[in-house]
Amino acid sequence: MSQTVKQGASPAAGHGTSHGMRPRHPVAGTLAVAGYVVMIVPILFVVATAFTAGSTLRFPPEGLSLKWFGEAVAYTPFVEAVVSSLELAVLATGLALLLGVPVTLAIHRGRIPGKGLLEGLFLSPLVVPELVVGLALYQQLMIGLHLDNFTTLLLGHTALLLPYAVRVTGASLALTDPALEEAARGLGASPLRAFVTVTLPMLRPGLISAGLLGFVTSFNNVPLSLLLQTRDFRTLPVTMLDYVQQSYDPMVAAASTLVLAATVVVAVIAERTVGFAKIFGGINR
Amino acid sequence: MRARSSLLLLLLPGLAFLLVGFLLPAVAMLFAPPGVTFPQVLERLGAMLTDPYDLGIIWRTVRIGLIVTALCVVLGFPIASLLARSQSRWAGVLLALAIFPLLLSNVVRTFGWLVVLGSNGVIGQLLTGLGIVEEAPQLLYTELAIVLGLTQLFLPLAVITCYSAVAQVDPGLDEAARGLGASRTRAFWSILVPLSLPGIVVAATLVFAGSVTAYTTPYLLGGSSQRMLSTQLFSYASVTVDWAAASATAIVMTVLVFLVSGISTLVGRKGATS
Repeated sequence: MSQTVKQGASPAAGHGTSHGMRPRHPVAGTLAVAGYVVMIVPILFVVATAFTAGSTLRFPPEGLSLKWFGEAVAYTPFVEAVVSSLELAVLATGLALLLGVPVTLAIHRGRIPGKGLLEGLFLSPLVVPELVVGLALYQQLMIGLHLDNFTTLLLGHTALLLPYAVRVTGASLALTDPALEEAARGLGASPLRAFVTVTLPMLRPGLISAGLLGFVTSFNNVPLSLLLQTRDFRTLPVTMLDYVQQSYDPMVAAASTLVLAATVVVAVIAERTVGFAKIFGGINR
Repeated sequence: MRARSSLLLLLLPGLAFLLVGFLLPAVAMLFAPPGVTFPQVLERLGAMLTDPYDLGIIWRTVRIGLIVTALCVVLGFPIASLLARSQSRWAGVLLALAIFPLLLSNVVRTFGWLVVLGSNGVIGQLLTGLGIVEEAPQLLYTELAIVLGLTQLFLPLAVITCYSAVAQVDPGLDEAARGLGASRTRAFWSILVPLSLPGIVVAATLVFAGSVTAYTTPYLLGGSSQRMLSTQLFSYASVTVDWAAASATAIVMTVLVFLVSGISTLVGRKGATS
């Protein structure tokens, strides 16, 4: 308490003398540490149990071995699911950007009435619970219209990623100056050429952010994909979920650790290209 | 005229996908599930809202949503305010560490709790090993497990939302209050919290909406004994194939989310004008 009063009495010293983390309120500090424990520690235990030589999810692990990693990468359902999830995520992200960027251009550059409403419409997939959307697509498209599950998944994932494409590239576009395009047009460039040579390069950070967010969102999705699975085409998270429910061995811990490693790679790419915090700043207004 | 037709050309493909991949199926599912009429869905909805079992599931979902929201704000705001106000270079690393889980699969994150809370898990082993209890307590498939799992899942969202709110508050204001003799605690409660309140409301709304609609966590950590609306919806849709009940559950879930988003928008607007 006395320390708090002393620091409070000399505010001028606040900035100048701060070395590293300044002493903070103990309650806030304790809560913050508790928060990090809840966020991070369970993930560490997944990694630790993946290296067990035993056959249960016991902690501490019974000896060290890589055998569960070997089992995980040799387990055909997982391998097929990784390929399926990658295929779906890449296609859905590409489609969402291809459809979403023109919409962003129309909203930000075109003179249309009801812009707010239009943008709201494209953001609406974020508002409706994904499980509800999944149920709707299963019932209406797969059962009702007999669409195959890959087409249904692709339609659903693309619609789900459209808000990311529209909002994140929109934030990028809002920072650019429309006069630059007009100057290009004035100098004789066609609208397409002005877009490709002037606007598109300025949109790069937004496109990368939206692409990364979209890819990760699609690859990890459970609620939307859950009801849209068939034996021929299953996504990885749902396959892992089913496996956990049936058997309780460390193979899923090994598979999870591999997913974690891949996610770290994606995070590093995100940090190197546009900056980690920026990507997530975009989606929360 | 040409400008208008090229605008349409930009908008139409996106609109078409939105309609086919989202809007039309969602509306059709609510009003006309296969072989069921809308009055039948409404009838099932009415039955659900009077049946003690179904009401229990709705109440559990809301209760868990509220607890998780409170926990995420109470743990997330301190993290956000410490990071936003720190000049340490570790603050960037810690922020990245808090954001990173958002990229990571929910299945992987939730699986961690099976290792921690399971019968051979860390906590059970620790308690029996230290001789505190004879037999490891049943921690999995409880409401506590779901609350822990969902808090882990949504805390990063609370942290980044609060972080951008705190970062917008001028640090000069804290320092002015401190210079005028306010304690750290007083400056926190009378400057930082009120000024970041709109961000806290947004964070709470996102966490609540996420918690009451999450599937993976209640499925893995709650099992069939601790059903929430999401796991119940899945069971109606794929196990019993009761379309009327599935649609009715979907309506309850969607209304719950819309209601909370609506209230939060109203609160936010009031806060902005007052």
